[in-house]
Amino acid sequence: MKGEASHTTRASIAGPNADRVIPLVVDHVAKSYDVDDRVVPVIGDLSLTLDNGQIVSIVGPSGCGKTTLLNTLCGLLAPDAGRISWYGQAITGQPQNVGYMLQKDLLLPWRTAHRNVMLGLEIRGIAANEAHDRSRAMLDRLGLHGFADHYPSTLSGGMRQRVALARTLVNEPAVLLLDEPFASLDFQNKLLIESDTAKLVREGGRSLLLITHDIEEAVSLADRVIVLSKRPTQVKAIYDIELGIERTDMMAARDSRDFSKYVRQIWADLDVVLQ
Amino acid sequence: MTADAESGMSRATDLAERKLVPAAVRRRQRLRSVAIVLATQAALLALLLGFWDYMTANNKQAAFMFGSPSAIAGFLYQMIKDGSLWRDSYVTGLETLLGFLVGNLIGTIIGLSLWYSRFVSRVVEPFVIALGSIPIIALAPIIIIWFGTGLISKVAMSTLSVVIVALVTSYKGAVGVDTDQINLMRTLGASKFQIFRKLVVPASLIDIFAGLKLTVGFALIGAIVGEFMSSSEGLGHAIFKAGSLYIIPKVFAALVATIVLALLLTSVVGRIERLLMPWRRIH
Repeated sequence: MKGEASHTTRASIAGPNADRVIPLVVDHVAKSYDVDDRVVPVIGDLSLTLDNGQIVSIVGPSGCGKTTLLNTLCGLLAPDAGRISWYGQAITGQPQNVGYMLQKDLLLPWRTAHRNVMLGLEIRGIAANEAHDRSRAMLDRLGLHGFADHYPSTLSGGMRQRVALARTLVNEPAVLLLDEPFASLDFQNKLLIESDTAKLVREGGRSLLLITHDIEEAVSLADRVIVLSKRPTQVKAIYDIELGIERTDMMAARDSRDFSKYVRQIWADLDVVLQ
Repeated sequence: MTADAESGMSRATDLAERKLVPAAVRRRQRLRSVAIVLATQAALLALLLGFWDYMTANNKQAAFMFGSPSAIAGFLYQMIKDGSLWRDSYVTGLETLLGFLVGNLIGTIIGLSLWYSRFVSRVVEPFVIALGSIPIIALAPIIIIWFGTGLISKVAMSTLSVVIVALVTSYKGAVGVDTDQINLMRTLGASKFQIFRKLVVPASLIDIFAGLKLTVGFALIGAIVGEFMSSSEGLGHAIFKAGSLYIIPKVFAALVATIVLALLLTSVVGRIERLLMPWRRIH
């Protein structure tokens, strides 16, 4: 069943109208958990779209079900109500051609950086030679030349997260879903890896859905920022970010005229109460 | 809490200072600390043996009851000379090794494959606990009836001593795999078998090897208990026979051989572990 669904998805991506099909449409999705015989609603009623080549950030107060949302989008959880369609198709199981990355790098400690990057290609049965070369090239692009044969335990946090990014990007996903991927990094590393991500996503014409609690990260990276409410989660506000600059330079984004205006507005929307 | 923080801090400064020290000096320091540990261990052993020898040297009754290091050494020499030490060690070693391998193989295969089905593992769990709680020695008479008094019955005893532990440790390793990691594999398009082969099995290796180290001793106990029940050779046979004849130093001599055998097998397992998990060596 899963194979069949993925087949149709792939066909639609490769089809001639691929550019006109919206990669991701979330339509009135709801999700709740059962905790000790009580139903706890997490996502109330959520709709959003991710267009081709678009970067959308989702920010929300802590515990607003961002991770639940991501797992639902990935097909790891089934929504209670509503529809999620990838490239115009509602699918069961995991969507194809979607890359997924979390705050935890989830590198396999027994594989070198290079072999970690190869993981997805290996799973998909890409010929070893090609997988080998593509992984090395991706590591080089992310500034990890010379670290390919290192085990994760010998790499710094920033480098490990770069390896994780390479592992995601080497599969050439049309859509990336990132869940606070840079949250554990220091400021310099965060800015550098954000810039690289923006560059690789925009150059490749990929779409990116970024879930974060970092308002500055959301504004500096995204074309659109969606602010979520507290649980049960709904969309509270949508901002189309226009900074009027090249959108791959995270420092320039912070220097631009309207940057702090967006940050302030989103901060106000989040309605953070000091206790 | 504060003590923790303090030791953490001192460790941090240690590290910072060490960075300045060249590698050769660091290696020498490390070797020296190893040498100090070994010297202390040797001194402790010598002290114990010296005290033992002194207490039994002029006391015939104590020498009879407790043996003496020199008498033990004498028996060891005699056992080496008549070849029984090698033969008994070989027999017990073979029984232990076979039981160890068969038990771990069966236990690990079952333990890992239980990861595949939560339903099956839940059905099987109480049975595993029940089997695990049976003292293996209680099975010895039945094992001898079933498998005779030769090699096979000892291997069976050894296997039974190992198999449940191997099953439980490998299963624990398999179900302990991070859910996020499994989700990642799924989003990369991995099938259940691919998740098993590329994630679950290697991730369980740490627990499997912890089990292997634990079960070396169990395998040896199984073999020796089997020899106690009925046998014509082996270290367990030698211990049992010497004990029945009240030749206590000879019991100790065979025990020394048993300990050496256990250490040997453990070190082989440790070596294979380092070979199979090179990423664990680097820190």
